[in-house]
Amino acid sequence: MLDAHAVTLSPAETLIMNILLLAIIGWSMWKAERGLNPGNDVAVLFLLGIFAVSGRVLLEPLPNVQPVTVVVLLAGIHYGAPRSVVLATSVALVSNLFLGHGIWTLYQAAAWSLVGVSGALLSERLAPSGTISVSRVAALSVVAAFLFDWTVSLSALHSFGAEMLPLYIVSGIPFDVLHASGNVFFVAWLAAPLSEMMSRHNLSRTVVREAVASRT
Amino acid sequence: MSDIVSILIVMIAASVALGSKIKEEDRLKVLSALWLVVILLSSSIISTEWARMTSELVDDEGDPHYGLPDIWEGKQVVCFDFPEDIAPEGYGGGRHHIDSDGTNFMTDSNWNGSGACVGGFSGYETGIDLFDEAVMASGGDFAYTSTQFSFGIQIDSIGGVEPCDVAPCPEDFSSGAYYALYHNGQLAPVGISDLPLDGDSVVTWTIMTW
Repeated sequence: MLDAHAVTLSPAETLIMNILLLAIIGWSMWKAERGLNPGNDVAVLFLLGIFAVSGRVLLEPLPNVQPVTVVVLLAGIHYGAPRSVVLATSVALVSNLFLGHGIWTLYQAAAWSLVGVSGALLSERLAPSGTISVSRVAALSVVAAFLFDWTVSLSALHSFGAEMLPLYIVSGIPFDVLHASGNVFFVAWLAAPLSEMMSRHNLSRTVVREAVASRT
Repeated sequence: MSDIVSILIVMIAASVALGSKIKEEDRLKVLSALWLVVILLSSSIISTEWARMTSELVDDEGDPHYGLPDIWEGKQVVCFDFPEDIAPEGYGGGRHHIDSDGTNFMTDSNWNGSGACVGGFSGYETGIDLFDEAVMASGGDFAYTSTQFSFGIQIDSIGGVEPCDVAPCPEDFSSGAYYALYHNGQLAPVGISDLPLDGDSVVTWTIMTW
């Protein structure tokens, strides 16, 4: 019997294949969004979730480089805290079904939720007059990398005492830097197109804003 | 530290050189890609350097790795202990720590003695192989001379230091000195050629007198 799949890829080949797969998913997501009626924010959140989960799983060979933090941050800016928390938690759970689920999933969900809430709270400054400020989002994404990693580091308290935590956090700083540089890369390349996409389906939030404005 | 500084200098220089030549709307895209690639390619160097910078000495006296950097936990180590005034040149003032790639990254000036430990090795099964590798990693600073006997080899000198430099060795053998071999803090029952190792063995050479 022919073993047609007996191909062993090197780590570099696997990474290239994964990046190609992610590009296909991103391109498909872009095309799928074009076919949606304006204001369909739930569908956009679903597409963003697929992209974030795929990105995290497929870029797993790159240490701490993944698009989830930036996607959740942008979701917070455009769709507000509650939806970014739903997205953050779902992405953490689903991606960890592939990467490994445990107590850390709770901390990752909380940490990404914190990033999304930060984006929501600072949305007026990050997207003044509705246009995303890439440089400001990039700066916040650097902070978000450290915020996320240090929050997740708290899960280590289940394994050892609090006196070890500072050393644990300090020893992980090179990985935080990788996360931060990955975030800046994703913001530089994805913030504008993703923001444009999210803005097209942001009607419900606009309606809420208008409703609140009319009441005051 | 020097590696991290070098990487930072290269990144800043490349960013400045490229930044002025790129249109403003594309600048962050190009520079972020450059930064990410450089950091990814040098992540191993950065992690190793950072681990060395932030490592602490094991303070559990019951641990064979007591007094050694914690980044060597689970790794094999060879130590060369000398009295303070007789260490090979450059290895006075405490105990130096040399990583398996030859980087002398830390000195424990509070150590009661002088010399060096060469560590971070793995996979060695006999003492002599690990010993030879440690000597090589030290750049030959702890090269040894030995005499082959029927029962094994006797170490005559390490790093140019002979035991009789430490204590007088009269011809009547009423007193003398020798290189003693310790394995995980205990006097080794066999010579270095026959010493079986664990995955985290600490082999120590020290001068003893009688």
